Amino acid sequence: MTPALRWPTALVCCLGCLASGVAPRLARASEAVVPLVTPALVLPDASGTSVSLASFRGKVVLVDIWASWCAPCKAAFPAYDALYREYRGRGLDVLAINVDEQRKAATAFLDGRDHQVHVLFDPKGLAPTGFKLKGMPTSYLIDRKGVTRFAHEGFNAKVLAQYRREIEQLLEETP
Amino acid sequence: MTRAVRLALLMMVLAASSLVTACATVQPWQRGRLASPCMQFSPDGELAAFASHWQESREGAAGGNGLQGGGCGCK
Repeated sequence: MTPALRWPTALVCCLGCLASGVAPRLARASEAVVPLVTPALVLPDASGTSVSLASFRGKVVLVDIWASWCAPCKAAFPAYDALYREYRGRGLDVLAINVDEQRKAATAFLDGRDHQVHVLFDPKGLAPTGFKLKGMPTSYLIDRKGVTRFAHEGFNAKVLAQYRREIEQLLEETP
Repeated sequence: MTRAVRLALLMMVLAASSLVTACATVQPWQRGRLASPCMQFSPDGELAAFASHWQESREGAAGGNGLQGGGCGCK
C-alpha cells in the first residue's frame, strides 16, 4: 500500500468499526443508572393460560427473570419460592419468568421441584426487554400500585436479606 | 485507471464491506447457547482452572490464558 493510501484506509476502517456496533456498546457502557419501569406484560403459564402482570395490581409482586442455563438463577429459584410461601398470606406474589429459548429446558429444571411460585414462559424475551434488564439474574419488586420500586441484579444472601426488608416495607404500604 | 479512481474505488469497497460485518449484541437473556457446556474450551472447568492457574504461576503469566466468563452474563 502506498503511503498516500494509508490514512484514508485507516479512516474508512475506523468508520466501519463505529458503524458496526462498537459505538452503541460504548454508549451503553456509559449508562450509569437504568430507570425502573413496569412493562405491560402478558405471558403464558405452563397450561397455556395468559397471565397479565397488571392483574396482580393490589399485591406486592416479585418478578424473577431466570433461565435454566444460569446457575445463580437456579440458586435463587428455591429462595424466592420460600419467600412466596412466607409472605403470600400478607399479599406477596412471585412471578418466575423463564427466558429459555426451549421450554423443555425449563421444564427439565422444574420437574420434580415442589414450587408454588407462578412460572411464566417468555422465550422471546419480552419481559427482560421491557424491564431493560442488564444481567442475569435480575429480579424486581413491584408495589401494590403497580410501580416497580426495587431491582436486584445477581443473587446472594445479602440480596435476600435486602429483599426481606423491602418486601416488608411494601407490604406495609396501603394500596 | 488513474490513481484517484483507484483510491475512490478502494474506499467504496472498504465502506461497503464495513456494512456487512457480523457484529451483534447478544443480550444477557440470549446467552443460553453461549453458556452451553459444548461451548466451553474444556469439558472439566475445575481441572482447566487448576491447570491454568498452575501454568500461569510457573510461567509468570497471570491472565495469559484469558479471563474467566461463561458467557451467560451472570454475576
